[in-house]
Amino acid sequence: MSNRPYLIATVAVALLALICFTLSPEGSAQAKRVFGSFYTPLFSAQKTAQTTSDYLANQAIPHKTLLKENTELKRQNEILELKLRELSNLSRENRILRQQLKMQPKLEWNPRLSRIVGRDPSNWWRSIQIDLGSSDGVTIDTPVMANGGLIGRVQETYLHRSRVALLGDPICRISATIAETKESGILSSSGGTIFDPTLAELLYLPANTKARAGDKIYTSGFGEVFPRGIHIGKILAVETTSGELTTKASVKLAINPSLLNEVWVLMP
Amino acid sequence: MKAFLTLTILLVALITTYAASVWNLPKQTLGTQLDPLPALMLVVALRAPIATIALLAIFASLTQSALSSNPLGLSLLPLYALGFTVHINSHNLSHYRTGSRFALGAAAGAIIPLMSLALLFLINKEPLIGWFSLWQWAAGILSSGLMALIFSPLIGWLDKSVEEQPLAAPFDTTTRIIRYHRFHE
Repeated sequence: MSNRPYLIATVAVALLALICFTLSPEGSAQAKRVFGSFYTPLFSAQKTAQTTSDYLANQAIPHKTLLKENTELKRQNEILELKLRELSNLSRENRILRQQLKMQPKLEWNPRLSRIVGRDPSNWWRSIQIDLGSSDGVTIDTPVMANGGLIGRVQETYLHRSRVALLGDPICRISATIAETKESGILSSSGGTIFDPTLAELLYLPANTKARAGDKIYTSGFGEVFPRGIHIGKILAVETTSGELTTKASVKLAINPSLLNEVWVLMP
Repeated sequence: MKAFLTLTILLVALITTYAASVWNLPKQTLGTQLDPLPALMLVVALRAPIATIALLAIFASLTQSALSSNPLGLSLLPLYALGFTVHINSHNLSHYRTGSRFALGAAAGAIIPLMSLALLFLINKEPLIGWFSLWQWAAGILSSGLMALIFSPLIGWLDKSVEEQPLAAPFDTTTRIIRYHRFHE
């Protein structure tokens, strides 16, 4: 048996591994985009199958039910339009006041519905794939929400897909504020996150924090990655240690992303 | 190198990795993601040449990391190390019985996550691990054993279907073709 093929294969694999591990973050993201494109036909087929099944499911709904739903939606729409008009007036007033106070204009976010098309294949990261990509205007760090609560931010974008790092992932650390005490900390993963995806930790709270279990947590808006005031979750317990300069609190996140099929992407 | 077989194996790797990423049921019920690659590499290493093993390790690890927050090609070295070790010892490994196939698949499913985690720590990444990771590891071992039982006949069938099979023994020779696996069954 000749050893040459074994030697060539081993050297090739070792060299490639070395290249992969020494690539710059941009180079690595670019390479991931290239290799991610192999999945494009599979994701397209999945989207087509989903659209077809949605269409067939809609066709199967009785006409009477649809009419009833339509009437209900029209009524809800009228109420929401009234509320929207009221909010538009408030928004205009807010903009004028900010101009008069020479404050920076507030960014207006445009939410877009997106479907979850995949999850991280490894157990030690928490990320999802959504079906909106750079061609739809999604950029890195775009906030992603569901049912009124923040779930994460866009970590990588492809042409028609994006990968979202979820809250609780070691990569996704965000600044958060406690509504009741106005204290801020950094939301990060905890040892329990791997068991329960709705558990996280709020780090770097003041040592003499007044935060209590049940206090609500919102995005702080620091860094301007996330808009201020998006609901994140509530405090489960505050862990004070004597002699420490900071305190940490365990947090129950508002949304469990494992149970979601669709999310809202907040486009700038 | 068996070119068509290699291509179909790469296609199987792509589809199974995609399916594992899209199929949410194991995550919801067992709290773990299934990884088909250790079992696939084991089965491939038992019957394919070293070039196919290297190509599978390269392609599968690079495409899998494209769906993940893992660094690019994280599982490249673990998968190749597994494939290489199994391939050079394939004549000493009993893999014709269901039990032994399951055991080998389970062992592959145990080794790959450990090696990948070790590499992550070596390159200063902070993966999410806790006590529950032990359960995920155990579930991964079990599922890898089961997947080895599925991949074994599948790759065998692909080998027979896409590659030209040797003709029967020429009439003018006394050479007998002895199928290797008969000795083990």
